[in-house]
Amino acid sequence: MSKVLKYIKIWWLMSKNAFISILYTKLTLVVFLLAKIIRFSFFIAFLYFLLKGTNSLAGYNLNQTLFFFLTFTVVDTISQFLFREVYRFRPQIVSGSFDLVLSKPFNALFRSLLGGADVIDLITIPPLIYALVYVGALLQPNFIQVVIYIALLLNGLLISTAFHIAVLAMAILTLEIDHTIMIYRDVISLGRFPVDIYKEPLKGILTYLIPVGLMVTLPAKFLIGMVTIQGALLSFLLCFVFLFASVSLWNSALRYYTSASS
Amino acid sequence: MRKYFTVFKISFQQEFAYKLNFIMWRVRNVLQIFLIFFLWDAVFSRPDAIVFGYDKAKILTYIFGVMLVRALVFSARSVDVPGEISEGNLTNYILKPMGYFKYWFVRDLSSKALNFAFSIVEFAILFFLLKPPFFWQTSLLFLILFLLSLAIANYLVFVIRFIVSFITFWIPELAWGAQFLFMMIITEFLSGSVFPLDILPIALQKVFYMTPFPYLLFFPLQVYLGKLPLNVIFEGITISIIWSLVLTVFMKIVWAKGLIEYRAEGR
Repeated sequence: MSKVLKYIKIWWLMSKNAFISILYTKLTLVVFLLAKIIRFSFFIAFLYFLLKGTNSLAGYNLNQTLFFFLTFTVVDTISQFLFREVYRFRPQIVSGSFDLVLSKPFNALFRSLLGGADVIDLITIPPLIYALVYVGALLQPNFIQVVIYIALLLNGLLISTAFHIAVLAMAILTLEIDHTIMIYRDVISLGRFPVDIYKEPLKGILTYLIPVGLMVTLPAKFLIGMVTIQGALLSFLLCFVFLFASVSLWNSALRYYTSASS
Repeated sequence: MRKYFTVFKISFQQEFAYKLNFIMWRVRNVLQIFLIFFLWDAVFSRPDAIVFGYDKAKILTYIFGVMLVRALVFSARSVDVPGEISEGNLTNYILKPMGYFKYWFVRDLSSKALNFAFSIVEFAILFFLLKPPFFWQTSLLFLILFLLSLAIANYLVFVIRFIVSFITFWIPELAWGAQFLFMMIITEFLSGSVFPLDILPIALQKVFYMTPFPYLLFFPLQVYLGKLPLNVIFEGITISIIWSLVLTVFMKIVWAKGLIEYRAEGR
């Protein structure tokens, strides 16, 4: 228990420092916040006008499509809020300054994964959750559906965690790649819309191999009443497998870290 | 002229310095195309459907066209300009016996050449994999007008990018933020990269047509698809030329004022 409290305290300190550094340049904060709001508004407008013209997308109506999109946005935004430090990891490996992280008396993965929470994303989370709840309520789910939806959403965040750990490991193994995290973002963005719109084999890949479908489509589908409890349980099981695999990959990758340039 | 040719050659070679990086960048572009391709494929699940004035062949041609036109119009090495200004490295360039804008224009051309070449290969692979119905424009006149609108788009985006980059003269910490807001969000959406602008209400389309953004991508593709009558095409080309001239003058003014403000911090 004391270990957990210690890590919560460390996370709070690291996040506070990250927030202060962003708040120091207020104009940058405003510009990035504005950019995110505009991008979100454009997408909502696009979906609204698209569905107004077509009435449905792969069998889903406007509210359902918006709910898929909002579920994706919430998972993606919370992930970015928590794991922003991953975007700054590669330079540490290239310069060898990762040595400093390894020499600290706490877990290097924890520091690399959660070391710099993003205040800009934090600001956008409450209104996003409000929009999610508002649109979700229009779909009239029952209590059980809501509870399992929230559990699946947390499961989606854990899958996202597994992805980010894998990206960190890849940064150690392949120094040259600068775009791994952005490729992750692009793959995840395929979940903006229900994975049902994709054709096989892409649909299968997005459901099981790169589980974008499990992260974002499945929770939303459960709330709509299109997934059974067995499907939800399978999702929890796969999440465990992905987490285990990514942590193993991280542990293996650490052995290949050479401290080059340090 | 020879020195700019040398700049082109060196810049082209530099793009190959980080091969895996470049390939990953192209992979990202393909992934983005997947999203919009399948989205529209789902919208046109009934092959005979006509939505927003598009049939399936025309909308999927639009999506594939986005891939090629984006590579040609939006690829640029001048994305580095804000960083050069904020770090004081601009000094290196203005001391050299070269036109600053010509230098970056040539470097952008080399980036466009490389990205366009790769996008043609991607186009061929995706075309083979996805087998979309495709609209081939056969009218020589429309093809010439399409190429003309593309040439204007390339110049227009160059000028817009520089105006945005010059914000860094006054606010160095916005070197990346301004690019993100104006070039990656506003320009991408309003140019029709993410979705064709004619799904929006007419009133909104009219407003957007008064801005330079639709002429970067949406307008050239509309010309290719033959969706616009000739008088509207000529009107569009005229507006985009006017924008090019006005923004060029504005860019030169901002550049002149920016140089006065420039203090070569970091050097």
